[in-house]
Amino acid sequence: MFARFATALAGVWLMAAPEFLDYSKKVSDNDQVVGPLLIAFSIIAMAESTRNVRWMNIVLAAWLFLAPWALAYHNIGALINDYATAVLVTVLSLIRLKKRHRFGGGWPGLWRSDAAHQQEAKRNPL
Amino acid sequence: MQKEDEIPPGWDYNPAAWGQRIPIVILALAGFCIAGYLSLYQFKMIPSVWEPFFGNGSVTILNSPISRVLPVPDAALGAMGYLLDAVAGVIGGKRRWKTMPWIVLLFGFAVGPLGFVSVMLVIFQPVLFEAWCSLCLTSAFISIVMIGPSMDEVLASLQYLRRVKDSGHSLWRGFWGFENVIKKVR
Repeated sequence: MFARFATALAGVWLMAAPEFLDYSKKVSDNDQVVGPLLIAFSIIAMAESTRNVRWMNIVLAAWLFLAPWALAYHNIGALINDYATAVLVTVLSLIRLKKRHRFGGGWPGLWRSDAAHQQEAKRNPL
Repeated sequence: MQKEDEIPPGWDYNPAAWGQRIPIVILALAGFCIAGYLSLYQFKMIPSVWEPFFGNGSVTILNSPISRVLPVPDAALGAMGYLLDAVAGVIGGKRRWKTMPWIVLLFGFAVGPLGFVSVMLVIFQPVLFEAWCSLCLTSAFISIVMIGPSMDEVLASLQYLRRVKDSGHSLWRGFWGFENVIKKVR
């Protein structure tokens, strides 16, 4: 939970950073697209049944690594800030939320044929 | 109905229990109040809008071209979305993941994909208009907070529909909660 909370704060920082750092419109747009998405995925991943949404944050972090080339920006301050955020988000998103409940095999239980919910239903039919 | 009958097979709690659903409904009602207030301004029924942090930001955002893309102002659509969340959250009993999959999936769609639209609107604020709107951000935050806690119930319904399909019963009938399917599939 702490890791998701910290990732959300990293998203808030990205949204706010253009206020404090000297950014071009292109760079600040990038941060202000990635920031809200980081916050959203982190908050969704706080719930146990959707905890794996944290992987979406790693995708966003990967984009932050690529962005300086993809968008061709030469702002060294922005580059350092984006990379630091990306490293932090990657590390935090590798941390798994503790499992407390059973979910009948979870989302993979929808495409597997012997998931926990199917086994349990077979063991205890109506 | 016995207690264990309420809990989906392979689970250790009931995601459709009232204790799970009521907090989400309360959040939806809070979102409805905020979006409703903002839409009163957009409908020009109140002359100004409360903005504690970003000066003219709310006025800029609430009068932006994006907010008028559809025939109804966007805050009013948001308010209707929250109302749908609340209504779809309340309808049905404690076993609705099984007895009414259609309402659970409607609820999930209203909270999930529709809720995520608010993230897009948050992105538009600085990127297109270089302004922020405090209450719009608050409303978006509420939408996002609702998503995670709602999805477990959707998962339980989808797993049930998977078992309906596996058992050779009509998925369609299972979806609408026909009695003969409910009685035969765990």
